[in-house]
Amino acid sequence: MFARLLWNLLRASRARLAVALVALISGAAVISALVNLDLDVERKLTQEFRTLGANIVVAPAYALAGSGASPMSPALMDESVVQTIEAMRTPAVIAVAPYLYVVARASVENSDLPVVVAGTWLDGIRRLEPAWKVTPGWIGSREERNLCLVGRNVARQLGLAPGKEIELRYAGNSIVETVAAVLEAGGPEDNQIFVNLPEAQGLLGSDKRIGLIQLSVEGSANQIESFANRLGQALPSLEVRPIRQIADAEGLLLDRIRLLIFTMVLLILVLTALCVLATMAALAMERREDVGLMKALGGSISRIVGLFLAEVGVLGAAGGLLGYLAGIALSRWIGERVFGAAITPRLDVLPLTVALTVGVALAGAMPLRLLGKVRPAVILRGD
Amino acid sequence: MTRLVEVENLTKQFGNVRALDGVTFQVEVGEWIAIMGPSGSGKTTLINILGGLEAPTSGRAVVDGTDVAHLDEKGLTRFRAEKIGFVFQQFHLVSYLSALENVMLAQYFHSTTDEKEAREALRRVGLDDRLEHLPSRLSGGEQQRVAVARSLINQPKLLLADEPTGNLDEANEEIVINLFRELHAEGHTILMVTHDSSIGRLADRRIELAHGRLVKVNAAAWIS
Repeated sequence: MFARLLWNLLRASRARLAVALVALISGAAVISALVNLDLDVERKLTQEFRTLGANIVVAPAYALAGSGASPMSPALMDESVVQTIEAMRTPAVIAVAPYLYVVARASVENSDLPVVVAGTWLDGIRRLEPAWKVTPGWIGSREERNLCLVGRNVARQLGLAPGKEIELRYAGNSIVETVAAVLEAGGPEDNQIFVNLPEAQGLLGSDKRIGLIQLSVEGSANQIESFANRLGQALPSLEVRPIRQIADAEGLLLDRIRLLIFTMVLLILVLTALCVLATMAALAMERREDVGLMKALGGSISRIVGLFLAEVGVLGAAGGLLGYLAGIALSRWIGERVFGAAITPRLDVLPLTVALTVGVALAGAMPLRLLGKVRPAVILRGD
Repeated sequence: MTRLVEVENLTKQFGNVRALDGVTFQVEVGEWIAIMGPSGSGKTTLINILGGLEAPTSGRAVVDGTDVAHLDEKGLTRFRAEKIGFVFQQFHLVSYLSALENVMLAQYFHSTTDEKEAREALRRVGLDDRLEHLPSRLSGGEQQRVAVARSLINQPKLLLADEPTGNLDEANEEIVINLFRELHAEGHTILMVTHDSSIGRLADRRIELAHGRLVKVNAAAWIS
C-alpha cells in the first residue's frame, strides 16, 4: 500500500513536483559536472602545465648550486646519464631531452654576432615544449644533423629564414647549419639557435658530454617531487631539481579552482533547496485537508509525514540520477571549453550526486513539518 | 446491555464560547443515537470529542473503557484507528485515490492492508463496480457509501456520523440511511448528528442540544 500511495501522491501533484524535479535535475547536473571537474581538474591542469616546458632539471651538482640552472655554466656530465634516466622512465614522464649550451659566434654573409647555441634532440623537444610556435614546422628526425631551429630575435638580427645557411664558430671549431624553422617561445629561447646535440658537442669539442637534462613529468607537485627524489637517489653525483615556480603555480591554481568549485556546489545546493522549499510549502498547504483526514483515520504524524518525505526522497533520487547524466554532458562541454579535452565522467560521482540531491530535497521539504500541526477537527470542519 | 459510551459533565470551551456545557449521557452497545439541535449547539463538537479529534475542557468522555480526555496525541491516534469509524457530511475522500484505495487507506493506518477485505466492504455498500473509480467520477451518494465502507473496514466499536446525508439528494439519502439501518440491525453502535427529524426518528434514542446543553432527550437516553 505504501508504494501505491507513493505512486498516487507523485501522480496527483505531478505538475507542482515537476517544478521541483527540474530544479533538482539542474542542481544535480551542475553539481555532478563540477564534482567530475574537481576529480579530473588536477590531471587536466598538469596536462595544461606540461605545455609550459620542463619541470625537472638534472645537472652536475656544482652547476645548479649557485644561481640556478645556468646555461652558461661550463660544468658538464656524461651523455650516458640520459640512458639511466630513460631506464627509470614511467608513463608520467612525457619528455626527456639533453642540452649542451655553447656561446658561439654566428656568421651570415656580412653579419657576425655572439649567440647562445643549444645542442639537443631537435625531434624530441617538440614534446618538451609543445607551446613553442615553430614556423614552418618542427624537425621530424635528428638524423639530418645540420638542420637547426633559430630563435625569432636571432633570425631578425641575422636576416635568417628557413633554407638559409649559418656558420657557427667556437674556439677554432666551426659548423655550418641550415635553418629549418624559426621558433617563437616568448622567452630567452627566442635569442638562441637550436642545433642537433652531436653538432654542439663537435663545436664545443667535447664528445658525449652534455650540460643538463630537462624532463617534463606529469603529476601533482608532490608526485613530481617524489619522482625527482627517486632520480636524485639513482644519480647521487648530480643535482636533480624540480622547477618550483611551475609546481607552485600549479598547486595554487588547483587550490583556487577547488575553492571555486566547492563554493559553487554549496551555492547551488542552497538555491536548489530554496526552490524545493517553495514548491513544498505550496504542496503542504494543498495537502492540509488530506493530512487532516489521514489523522482522523488514525494515521500517526510520523507515518503521514514519512509518506510525504518518501515522495520527496524519490523525487531527489530521480533528480540526482537524471542530473548526473546531464552533468556528464555538461562536464564534457566544460572540459572541452576550458581544457580543450573532455572531462572523464566518473561513476563514483553518481552516488555522491544522488545523496546530495536527496539531502537537498529533504532539506527543502522542511515545510512538511507544518503538517504535524494540522488539527483534523478544524480541517474537516472546513475552517 | 453493555455500556459503550459514558459522557459525564462534559465541557468544551473555545475562548469565550462554551461549545459544550456539562453534557452527560450514556450509550449502550448496539444503540443508534441521533444527536440533534440547531447549528452551533455543539453537536459536532460532541462527536469530535468522542472520536478523539478534540480534547474536552473538563468532564469525562469514555468510549469502550477509554477516557479520551486522558489520552496523549499518540494514544488518540491509536484510539481513532482502532475504535472509531467516521462518516462526514463532506465525504472527505482522498481525491487522488480510487474508491478501493480510499478504503485501504484506513486499513493502512490501522495495521495492514487487505485488498480482498476492502473489495468486500465496497461490495457490501453496493459499489463493487466502482472499485477503481476516483471520487471525482462518483456521485455524492456513491462517495458517501465509500466513506461508510471506509469507516467500517477496521471493525470500529463506535460509528460517528456527522450529517451523513446533509449533502445528498433524496434518492441517495435513502440509500445511505438504509445502509445505516442495516448496520444498526447488524449490531453496530451509531452516533449520528442530524438536522432531519425523520432520520432522528429512525434512531433508538434522540439527544437534543442547544447552546451546548442537553435540553431534550427521550427518557431512555437521559442520565443525569
